[in-house]
Amino acid sequence: MTPINILNLLGYGFFQTALLGGVIAAAACAAVGLFLILKKEAMIGDGISHTAFGGIALGLLLGINPLLTALAVSVLSVLGISYMRRKNLAPSDSAIAVMLALGFSLGLIIISMANGFNVELFSYLFGSILTIDQADLLLVSLLGIIVILFLGFFRRELLSIVFDEDDSRVMGIPTNTLSLAFDLLVATTIVLSIKVIGTVLVVALLVLPGLSALQLNLSFRKTILTAVAFSITSTVLGILFSAASDITTSGLIVFTAVLLFLLTIAYKKLE
Amino acid sequence: MNTHEQTTQDTPILELQNVDVTRSGDTVIENANFTIAKGDYVGLVGPNGGGKTTLILALLNFLPRVKGTIKLFNTNIDKFQAWQKVAYISQTATSFDSKFPLTVRELVALGRIKKGNIARRYTSEDWEAVDDSINFMGLTQEAHKRIGQLSGGQKQRVFVAKALARNPEIIFLDEPIVGVDAATQEKFYKKLSDLNTKRKTTILLVTHDLTSVFCRMSKVLCVNKQVEIAEITSGLDPNTLLKKAYGEHFHFVFHRHECHGVFNNDTH
Repeated sequence: MTPINILNLLGYGFFQTALLGGVIAAAACAAVGLFLILKKEAMIGDGISHTAFGGIALGLLLGINPLLTALAVSVLSVLGISYMRRKNLAPSDSAIAVMLALGFSLGLIIISMANGFNVELFSYLFGSILTIDQADLLLVSLLGIIVILFLGFFRRELLSIVFDEDDSRVMGIPTNTLSLAFDLLVATTIVLSIKVIGTVLVVALLVLPGLSALQLNLSFRKTILTAVAFSITSTVLGILFSAASDITTSGLIVFTAVLLFLLTIAYKKLE
Repeated sequence: MNTHEQTTQDTPILELQNVDVTRSGDTVIENANFTIAKGDYVGLVGPNGGGKTTLILALLNFLPRVKGTIKLFNTNIDKFQAWQKVAYISQTATSFDSKFPLTVRELVALGRIKKGNIARRYTSEDWEAVDDSINFMGLTQEAHKRIGQLSGGQKQRVFVAKALARNPEIIFLDEPIVGVDAATQEKFYKKLSDLNTKRKTTILLVTHDLTSVFCRMSKVLCVNKQVEIAEITSGLDPNTLLKKAYGEHFHFVFHRHECHGVFNNDTH
């Protein structure tokens, strides 16, 4: 495909919708993901995305928008993880494993019972940004704006908690409330990214851009902006090449993100 | 050479009455009674495992008390709200991940977050306080470096700068373990002395450096389950006090007249 063809593509409504949805999800994932990496809790992203799969299956079974049921189930799983931690029932990683197993097995049971929505399910597992409709774009944008506004307002407090939770508490930051709010934000981010990249690979978009940006040894401000820029770059490139080639979008997005990661490592070695 | 005696006023900032602190069912602090006044520079000493850190955490209301009352600024700690007057530097503060993406200035700026000021933009007043604190701690050259690039001594100072950015009235400092040489450590204590004398900040410092305590500070808290407090005056025999916490066999060689030789930079 020539550059001119890509320009033509940009004229299509469906393509603009896809790009917009992709950019919002990419920005939210990178910003939230950087905090997850710094908290050393990247696996909560993987856990919640698997739980979301259960929610999607439930939505398909009940005939409700699967993104809504995925959001509900993900929020419940975050609350479950937080409850298990607080009551000392399980350490963080084990609590995540329990919720992952519960959500995923629920999804499997529903699928085997319903036995009919394989094609649709596939689009949620691996994303289908090029077929996103206006209603889903609206939902993605709304959730994306919530995530980005929240981080805009509370980024310093969150950073402080990630860096030193005890000191943050002395400083008067409501650490428990903000930590829970942040976990809910992770759930929201994952759900809004499902259409773009799918539940299976969403963890890549959470982790890779932040990890790449961290290689560059920048200030926090520049690190988060770089992560967002990397994430948007890989998503836009992934969507463009996918539209031009008919190769799966999510695969290309993640592949580009991995390439960027390798490039930053190479850059660091050369420096 | 004890300048603290003149600056000490009698306004109590911290008062403990019959305080017991337990951790996992064991009584770690038993029947603590002491008062710390505005402008005090207090050395908290005692053997390892004697309860120094536990005492600090209790003073920050992190641990449940089984008995007694703690008052901060004349308010019962359970009702205390004015935490912006208090800064705390933990023992593990300096053992952060060296790749953490924060510059000195960004870290010190986090110190400006206060209750009631959550989720707001920094003002020019905030940044002035940040740069002033960085300057006071002698880190201006390092302001835009990442904290992971700092030396051990600079790491100790950057956390004090962060605490200072809040303009606290009292700093609880659980001496960070960074393994710095004696000269660097001495420079750090000198900075804390400056802070105490120039800004009248009350300091409660957990330390193993007994010479610094008896040369520089106004009071000593000796902790080994029991808590003893003494005003440091020329009449005080350190060993009488220290033996209560460290045991009878303990002997600390200390000659007050040597303080002037050791700390002769103080007058400049």
